[in-house]
Amino acid sequence: MRFQAIQCAVAGALFVSALLAQRNAGPASEANPLGHDPQAVAQGHELYNHNCTVCHGLNGAAGDRGPALGAGRSHVIRTDKALFEAIQNGIPGTAMPPFSLPATDIWKVVAYIRSLRATASDAFVPGDAARGEQIFWGQGRCGNCHMIRGRGGISGPDLSNVGGERTLESIRDSLTKPKQPIPGGYQPVEVVTADGRRLSGIAKNDNNFSLQLLDSHDRLQLFTAGELRQVLYAKQSLMPSNYDRVLKPSEFQDLLAFLSRQVVHKVERRRRSEEDDEQ
Amino acid sequence: MNGYAASLCLAGALLSSAAAQVTYQDLLKADPANWLTYSGSYNSQRHSLLKQINTANARALVPKWIYHVPGAGRLESVPLVVDGVMYLSQPNEVFALDGRTGRLIWQHRREPAMRRGPNRGVAVLGNRVYYTTPDAYLVALDARTGSLLWQSKIAEAKEGYWAPAAPLVLNRKIITGVAPGDYGMNGLLAAFDASTGERLWRWNAIPRPGEPGGDTWAGDSWKTAGGDTWLTGSYDPELNVIYWGIGNPAPDFNGDLRKGDNLYTECMVALDADTGKMKWYFQFTPHDLLDWDAVEIPVLVDAEYQGRRRKLLIQANRNGFYYVLDRVTGQFLHGTPFVHSVNWAKGLTPEGRPILVPGVEPSLQGTKVCPSTSGATNWMSPAYNPDTGLFYVAALEGCGINTKSYEEFRPGGFPFDATGYIESPQEPRQLYVRALELTTGKLVWEFKQIGSRAYGAGLLSTAGGLIFAGCDQGIFTALDARSGKPLWHFNTGQAISASPMTYSFKGRQYVAVEAGSNVIVFGLFEDSEESTFGRTQ
Ligand code: HEC
Ligand code: HEC
Repeated sequence: MRFQAIQCAVAGALFVSALLAQRNAGPASEANPLGHDPQAVAQGHELYNHNCTVCHGLNGAAGDRGPALGAGRSHVIRTDKALFEAIQNGIPGTAMPPFSLPATDIWKVVAYIRSLRATASDAFVPGDAARGEQIFWGQGRCGNCHMIRGRGGISGPDLSNVGGERTLESIRDSLTKPKQPIPGGYQPVEVVTADGRRLSGIAKNDNNFSLQLLDSHDRLQLFTAGELRQVLYAKQSLMPSNYDRVLKPSEFQDLLAFLSRQVVHKVERRRRSEEDDEQ
Repeated sequence: MNGYAASLCLAGALLSSAAAQVTYQDLLKADPANWLTYSGSYNSQRHSLLKQINTANARALVPKWIYHVPGAGRLESVPLVVDGVMYLSQPNEVFALDGRTGRLIWQHRREPAMRRGPNRGVAVLGNRVYYTTPDAYLVALDARTGSLLWQSKIAEAKEGYWAPAAPLVLNRKIITGVAPGDYGMNGLLAAFDASTGERLWRWNAIPRPGEPGGDTWAGDSWKTAGGDTWLTGSYDPELNVIYWGIGNPAPDFNGDLRKGDNLYTECMVALDADTGKMKWYFQFTPHDLLDWDAVEIPVLVDAEYQGRRRKLLIQANRNGFYYVLDRVTGQFLHGTPFVHSVNWAKGLTPEGRPILVPGVEPSLQGTKVCPSTSGATNWMSPAYNPDTGLFYVAALEGCGINTKSYEEFRPGGFPFDATGYIESPQEPRQLYVRALELTTGKLVWEFKQIGSRAYGAGLLSTAGGLIFAGCDQGIFTALDARSGKPLWHFNTGQAISASPMTYSFKGRQYVAVEAGSNVIVFGLFEDSEESTFGRTQ
């Protein structure tokens, strides 16, 4: 998959000059012919500041009139081509206007938006993803705690889209550094009930008055404060943080390659009237 | 401390698998502590055996918690509750909440976020939660985390289909329907394997030429015919038959090009649950011109009818008539109007076919039609209480002015109505709760929702002798099931257009209703001291 994308990008680059000549023709390639070229990203940043910040805000953080194009939102428009088209044609039925910029400029803005998003799936992580997958389900025991596309355990976050949501850095950190504070919904706890039973698991949610526990038998247990004598919060997450040490460097790299490719391919978005249809 | 070693021990403990949460036996039994299906039980009576909250103490009902669904417009789903966990949905989103406190356990959001609504609710089986989507998929989630397990396409969204109804779970099968008939999309029911999502059968609501019923459509009109399935059906496990109401024909208001009865639009159909083969049908409004979808919830009751115990199917239909059918054979037994404003039919023949009043149909200049196209009732669920023997329905009096035009079908999901209607300014809608004698449809009492000139909420009946009702004014009311006398009410602050439900957990009964963008849960006032946790960090 990635290989093809890289080849595409290389081939695409050969057509840049052709593109230059074709103002406002649709995108001639699926992938950005400028690739991830840092200079294109920098120029795209300038073009972005010039044209887009009124609505989308500085640096792709959410603005007043448009959604965040960078982090913080699960993006509907993901492919280079679809981004190109959204910018060139606008998004009909919304406040997103069309821009009559030259095609290369649009590609530069696309490169910039991609750099903002730059999740692991955009990062071309080298390694043998197939072997990484074996490690995930095998010696890494990741599948005991994590689900990918409907398979696996439930005490850790679902990783089906981890490559599309997280940066490579943050995935690497997850595997090598304990997260502090422990992320909400994954705090390991032990509770003692009013009648003296001891249960352990993960607090999916809690506050002064109640606690929602996913217990060690994968059952949801609901408690109000009066029903618990004691709540003990563990200091460490269930997520092991020494994979860089227990796996060989090549295994670790293969695992990263596998994780970075975990992207849920979104069904193409259709736009229609947004009002409720009463039948 | 070595995090790895410690975690691995825990991981071992976490591995032991839990017993399946909801079994088919649970669904059959319909334990009143839980609310496991859209209509509360397979017979869709929406009658709960819980009676901690009853006619004697209803006045002590107080709100226990409110969950605001971010970004929701008007919620129209029925929450389910399994062992204290509430599953709540709106289009593309499912929430798992603690049923006693309203605290969020997990939230699932599906992209693309096409915000077509409403979504009417989820279904549960095993450790899975199922729901259908604005792009016509059936989706299975892990009930404990909201993780996506699989999704199966019910119909082609590109053609214009979507799926609003709560799925119906049978033994190892999920039955789903589609919308919108108003766009000329032909309706269907599809069954999926509950564990794999594989499609098991599909039943087409519109027969093709040459098939039985195919001759009830003139020319090519069957191709863009409607007949959708946007509410949930009922199930008789003894007969292994599902009962489903079918929507209107298209174009809605002009029948010139679709001469004929237009089967199986406006029908109740009985299908073999294993094969999807039709056992019988009964058509309420042949060749409908008024968009009176017959999707209203079929209520299954076993009762004495004219000296004989029979398996009955009851439907208060959008066309203004209350129908009693034999659900083994589909035979029409009885039909009578349950609203005063009925001007389109003089009555029903012994076979149950309407005796039409000539000329009461959409016209170029506009014709007064009663009930209006909104219907004498609509998606608002009815209820039946075996203790009182009464059938309860949210009824709308009122008339509409219907016009017609000529419209070309456009593929891809566009309205195909051939014009429409307005509510008649002289006879505006008025919402009632009505209690009808089961087998005769005779009015026993009514409660007028003063000020309510729009659709309202469905009804909930409880063994505590209560009927819970809501209206577009946002007022949630408990009525005495025998007299219709209001015993308690609460102003939720937003229009109520969903049906209430009830459940209990750790000995306490709760009643939940969605009002606008909130779900609000009520219980009896408890005079107890506040306590907080003893914690150790
Ligand atoms: C006038 C305000 C406005 C301006 C100027 C504007 N946008 Fe937008 N844009 C919007 C709005 C509003 C949306 C959200 C549309 C929707 O509802 O999906 C949007 C959506 C988008 C999306 C799709 C986001 C997603 O993933 O769903 C992209 C990409 C985008 N804009 C890029 C740009 C770029 C690049 C520029 C500058 C060249 C720009 N926009 C200028 C208002 C604007
Ligand atoms: C004992 C259970 C357990 C095992 C085994 C485990 N994880 Fe985790 N993992 C968790 C939990 C719980 C979290 C969330 C809390 C945290 O980040 O500390 C998590 C978080 C993560 C995250 C961050 C996800 C996000 O969206 O924030 C990644 C990535 C991850 N794990 C990958 C792995 C991989 C790869 C393996 C195997 C090499 C693995 N995990 C093994 C329990 C586990």
